[in-house]
Amino acid sequence: MIFADIIFILIILVTLAGALITVLSGSIIYALIGLVITMFGIAGLYIYLNAPFLAMMQILIYVGAITVLIAFAIMLVGPLYKKPKEWTYPLKFIIAAVVALFSFFVFAKIILKTQWAGLLKPFTVSTKDIGRLLLDRLTFPFELISLLIVVAIIGAVMLSLYSRGEK
Amino acid sequence: MTGVGLYNSLNIYLFVGLVLLTCGILGVVYRRTLVSMLISMELIMNGAGLNLVAFNRFIAPDNANGMAFTLFIMGIAAAEAAIALAIIILVFRKFRHVEGSQLKEMKD
Repeated sequence: MIFADIIFILIILVTLAGALITVLSGSIIYALIGLVITMFGIAGLYIYLNAPFLAMMQILIYVGAITVLIAFAIMLVGPLYKKPKEWTYPLKFIIAAVVALFSFFVFAKIILKTQWAGLLKPFTVSTKDIGRLLLDRLTFPFELISLLIVVAIIGAVMLSLYSRGEK
Repeated sequence: MTGVGLYNSLNIYLFVGLVLLTCGILGVVYRRTLVSMLISMELIMNGAGLNLVAFNRFIAPDNANGMAFTLFIMGIAAAEAAIALAIIILVFRKFRHVEGSQLKEMKD
């Protein structure tokens, strides 16, 4: 029990450190690496929540696909090292920190005041149940997601293809 | 599956998701380039997915609706990232920079 707690705290610390690296680092590549660290931490939290299929999908989709996509965009978007300063001016950071801290305290108050109804019951949902739910009751949203991804890919290709002749 | 560990309390997962949301808001407001704003949006979506899975495990442990919804969030995040990166590349071709605060006109 103690060992599981130690690993859990370690995973939470890795996740929060990755989020802070993502937000506060000065360069975009470091922000991307921080995003990868955060994704791995969240995959670990999914395993602690008895959802190993979601942890695998998290690593596969976010770390495998979206991160590579963002890395390609960083490479295509040009020499960002010429202006490496992400800190524009301090007033903007102060305003952003005020907004973020305000939302943090509002939601923390909501979380701490609410009495969540369910007590801890045994959790018996497996990957088989997720597949049966996706192909049984949620079939229509599932197919809509696939249609949305096809439309998004064709739209992205068209956007970057047809704008080349202009200028 | 039941037990008294630190990982069996709902509030810890909710606070991790809340910190991810706060970091995402901070990044969207103050980062300079459009690409890092997109990275911060991914942080916000991850926090939402973590909250959904935690609610599914602790509040409604007899169905898998939250997990299915998190899978939908992942698919929508992939589509959104593809479209947003195409638009960012367009902006770079037109203006030769991707700074969010200097895009003042939509079409000229």
